[in-house]
Amino acid sequence: MNRDNAIEVRNLTKEFRVNHDGAKTLKEFLVRHHTKAQRHVVLKDINLDIKKGETVGLIGVNGSGKSTLLKLMTKIIYPTQGTVETNGRLTSLLELGAGFHPDFTGRENIYFNASIFGMTRKQIDARVDDIIAFSELGDAIDEPIRTYSSGMYMRLAFSVAINVDADILLIDEILAVGDQHFQDKCYDKLLELKNSGKTIVIVSHALDQVRKLCNRAVWIYKGTLRLDGDPAYVIEAYKKQSAIDHKEEKKAAVEKGTDEYKGVVFIDSPADYSKAATGQQIMINGWRIADSDDFVFSIEVNGRRLDDITPVDRPDVASVYEDEYAGYVEDRKLGFSAAFIPEKPGEYQIRAQIAAGGKMIADKQITVTVE
Amino acid sequence: MLKEIYDYRELLKTNVKKDIRGRYKASVLGVLWSFINPLLQVLVYAIVFPYLMKGAADHYVVYLVTGIIPWTFFQSVVNESTTCIKANSGIIKKVYFPRIILPLSAFFSGLINFFISCVIIIVFCIIFGMGISWHLVFVPIIAVTEGLFGLALGTIFGAVDAYIQDTEYIVNFILMMAMYGAPVIYEITIFPEGSRIGTLIQMNPMTKIMNAYRDVFMNHVIPDMGAIGLVFAGSFVLFLIAVTIFNRLQKGFAEQF
Repeated sequence: MNRDNAIEVRNLTKEFRVNHDGAKTLKEFLVRHHTKAQRHVVLKDINLDIKKGETVGLIGVNGSGKSTLLKLMTKIIYPTQGTVETNGRLTSLLELGAGFHPDFTGRENIYFNASIFGMTRKQIDARVDDIIAFSELGDAIDEPIRTYSSGMYMRLAFSVAINVDADILLIDEILAVGDQHFQDKCYDKLLELKNSGKTIVIVSHALDQVRKLCNRAVWIYKGTLRLDGDPAYVIEAYKKQSAIDHKEEKKAAVEKGTDEYKGVVFIDSPADYSKAATGQQIMINGWRIADSDDFVFSIEVNGRRLDDITPVDRPDVASVYEDEYAGYVEDRKLGFSAAFIPEKPGEYQIRAQIAAGGKMIADKQITVTVE
Repeated sequence: MLKEIYDYRELLKTNVKKDIRGRYKASVLGVLWSFINPLLQVLVYAIVFPYLMKGAADHYVVYLVTGIIPWTFFQSVVNESTTCIKANSGIIKKVYFPRIILPLSAFFSGLINFFISCVIIIVFCIIFGMGISWHLVFVPIIAVTEGLFGLALGTIFGAVDAYIQDTEYIVNFILMMAMYGAPVIYEITIFPEGSRIGTLIQMNPMTKIMNAYRDVFMNHVIPDMGAIGLVFAGSFVLFLIAVTIFNRLQKGFAEQF
């Protein structure tokens, strides 16, 4: 293999047996040979070179095969056809806290966990203080880990994982550990590793992270390598395709009756049970989102429909829902604004709702008292 | 492959440590349980067997202790290495490491546990007036031979067990048969010389092992090193075959669970 490459994937195809689970006993094993096992191609003819020092993000929807590709790189599973070659010490952080034993102390478990990554006692000794400091566990490090909270447990596990000394790091969706402070710290540590010339391959759904951290993105689409290049460009193409796929899937599912449209509606102002004065204009501001192309949005005040609703740009809402409502967020004004003037004192019910396919899918109601 | 095992030696060490110290850590009596279990077994046989068998051996209790404790060692190596792949399926699916470390850990923790248990055998020998002799130096040789035999079998069974889970139940049965097929709780002399079953039992490698332990602990003579050497050579060849089979099958482990 090329000396500048850390990982070389050549003509790789991976198939899984579909009716796999169940064939666990002797009887089923014998029977299985009579029925032809169905095979499912997870990855098809993948060619990929990852150069030393590159930080590569593997993106793709669930089931696209990106995690399988990562597992093939670590030699947890083996290709059906083709080859995967690696150059340098490789560590896969696919599992946090592997080998932890609840009855041993945090310190002892650092040794258990790090040894699974192939570190020697000397190497662990040299790093154990860094690991403990990184975990911020303090004196709790000498307590059995069954006494730890789940947050402490994950912090310890991640501290070991990220401090493992390797040339190639394979990471699967593990940046979502702990609170914001700890996540930031992990992110900084990854940056540090990246800058020190390590080769890093990350599988992630956090596209922003991929964009910021990686200098290359590889998009796996339905088991094939679809696009490979600058993260910003690849992510954009990926998002567009997911939006289209998402829409089609949803439509098909609704038609089949296996799924229903869903939506969210929210009124930011006025606040529920707030007070207002007679004759003074009340502004209704909020946002709504639905996964249908032809939904009907309406606002009613005491049963009377408001006609004049102005769409408003809401990038804050869009960023929250871009995954869940992919294809219904982009280039759309999600916010709304409307107004009415209460002419006499009393209670006013403001009701915003979304209807799609002849059904109400989301609503929000608030009450304003006019004095 | 040897280099890789060497690189992962710390994993082997921590696995053994976890196995020996971790197993009973949450229980009140802790590690003592690994001694209490075989002792209770000895107690049961010591009470029942003299009634079943006319003229049980002299020093039957010591005879039992020198049989059951080494047998427990063999059984635990075979059992642990048979189930180790399935028991560790969680990490196998998620982390790469040389899988052969798992049966090797079973071998080493079994061996260390046995050496500790030897203290009990020695205590029994002294209490019942048999005493001890310099022949004890042969114990490690016999134990490594016995362990290697168990490891070779367990490595094959373990690799197969990942694919066909009936294996461990079949292994349980074979182990039980093998125990009655070797002079663990009875003396070989209860079968008439030249009888078919007697000959069969003589051919059981575990019979050679059991005889060697009795020679060292009870008879204070040098064990039949020819027999032990033969068992060792056989086990070694079997182990090489086992590793070949294991390496072939280990590629699919992660997909089996």
